[in-house]
Amino acid sequence: MVLNPIQSMGRYSQLLFKAFGAVPEFGTYRKKLWEQMMRIGVDSMPIVMLAAAFSGAVTTVQTSYQLVSPLIPKSIIGSIVVPSMILELGAVVTGFILAGRVGARIAAELGTMRVTEQIDALEAMGLNSIGYLIVPRVIAGIVMFPVLYVAACFVGIGGGMMVGHLGGFVPIGEFVDGAREFFQPFDPIFGLIKSLVFGFTITSVSCFKGYYTAGGAEGVGRATTQAAVASCVFLLLADLILAATLL
Amino acid sequence: MRISNELKVGLTIITATVIFILGVRYFEDLPLFATTYDLSAEFDNAGGLIPGNTVRVNGVNVGSVNEVYISTETGKVEVKFHVDRNISVTEGAYAKVSGIDALGAVRLDLYLGPLDAPRIPEGGRVAVGDGNDIFGDITARAPEMLERVSSVLDGLDTVLLETGTMLSQPESDFRSTLRSVNGSVTELQSLLAAERNRISAILQNVEEATGSLKTLTSENGPAVSKLVEDLSVTIATLDRELVGLGQASRSLNVLLDKINNGEGTLGLLVNDPSMYHKMDSTLDGINMLVLDFKTNPGKYLGEMKLVDLF
Repeated sequence: MVLNPIQSMGRYSQLLFKAFGAVPEFGTYRKKLWEQMMRIGVDSMPIVMLAAAFSGAVTTVQTSYQLVSPLIPKSIIGSIVVPSMILELGAVVTGFILAGRVGARIAAELGTMRVTEQIDALEAMGLNSIGYLIVPRVIAGIVMFPVLYVAACFVGIGGGMMVGHLGGFVPIGEFVDGAREFFQPFDPIFGLIKSLVFGFTITSVSCFKGYYTAGGAEGVGRATTQAAVASCVFLLLADLILAATLL
Repeated sequence: MRISNELKVGLTIITATVIFILGVRYFEDLPLFATTYDLSAEFDNAGGLIPGNTVRVNGVNVGSVNEVYISTETGKVEVKFHVDRNISVTEGAYAKVSGIDALGAVRLDLYLGPLDAPRIPEGGRVAVGDGNDIFGDITARAPEMLERVSSVLDGLDTVLLETGTMLSQPESDFRSTLRSVNGSVTELQSLLAAERNRISAILQNVEEATGSLKTLTSENGPAVSKLVEDLSVTIATLDRELVGLGQASRSLNVLLDKINNGEGTLGLLVNDPSMYHKMDSTLDGINMLVLDFKTNPGKYLGEMKLVDLF
């Protein structure tokens, strides 16, 4: 029992190692990459933007609710909402949504292929199944997550600004002034690094869970659930490690 | 036309990159599509300045602080900042850190030099203004002020102590003064009690009087207003008259000036003594004539036909 997680860790590393080994022959599977980028990135855009807009708006409303002291200028709302969006919410909200949306789909796809022996068929045809199935997904995750992160921040900050303005909490000018007052150019870079790591974590963990599915339809269901849950857990872990090391 | 996946993905990535770059520049307070005018300054004390703090000229935000670090060469604080390209930062300009650190509202105030002086080049160094703003001043002078406050408090302490001893001695002047004041107040109180009826009557009378005045003014409102109107007309007329009077006195002044200067008949009359002398001699002659007439009137009367009648 105790050895189980360590064993999984080992298998996960092995899979990653093989995937990196398959990168040189990646040119063969490039078409797959565009398809995965489309599914992971572009198709996720609406839900990510929706969630980000709401989280930005809610952060603004709640921050202005908590700021009751007349000594604190309203522009502080901007200096709280923008960094929290850029540093944390933009990446983590996107990550959670994609852990559910992308992680579950990857695990279900690969799991079904595994239990219906399609992966074995690929191998029998002489294709490198890891290079064909896993590498495009992981690379698509690494490339598209930062893109989604940028969209989330853009919409989230915009949503916060609009709600602050329309709701009468803080005028746009003051919001921007406050945001500029405490803006650190490293913050968005850190957010990008975070989202890149999240993209890698979610896609690789889901691929691992899906690729090693066993036990028929039930196994596919289990792998899907585990993929979503493990993605979220490792995402939070990565979040903490990155914040502790880079900030 | 069916848009291929490659195109969609590529467009998405490019859009995100553009938004990222523009967004970062926007929140860094840099112009979106132009280069900035970078400057630097060297402070002894940055007073809590951090990157992102605003740069102000005459209270207007014109840029922000890019970097604050301790220079390894000089050991002083190197502050790099940028301002709007339209702001003409000329030689003679200087920078100061102001605002309150505790509230997080620190900023860099830039005081521009003379407009005709040469412009400080890109990346150039701006002088640092000496002295602080009011809060910095207070902070800098706090030890001195505290010393004074403590000496003042010491003095107050002594005074209070002396007052205490003075009050505690039963035979002190202070106590006797207080006693007499007390007596006066008691007397006043008894007086007030005794004369309460009269005082209330007086107050009532005053009230009645003001009441009557009020009714008078309210009942005769039109008449009063007419009166005031007439008065104002009268005053206006008076005003006009006074203007006329002023003119008259001016003319008189001119006239008197002329007389003084000996111009015209009157002037000559006043200023020329020869006429007086002539008149004087004439009068002398007449006098002598009259005397002569008195002494021997026959000399004259004999020749007058009218006198012959008698």
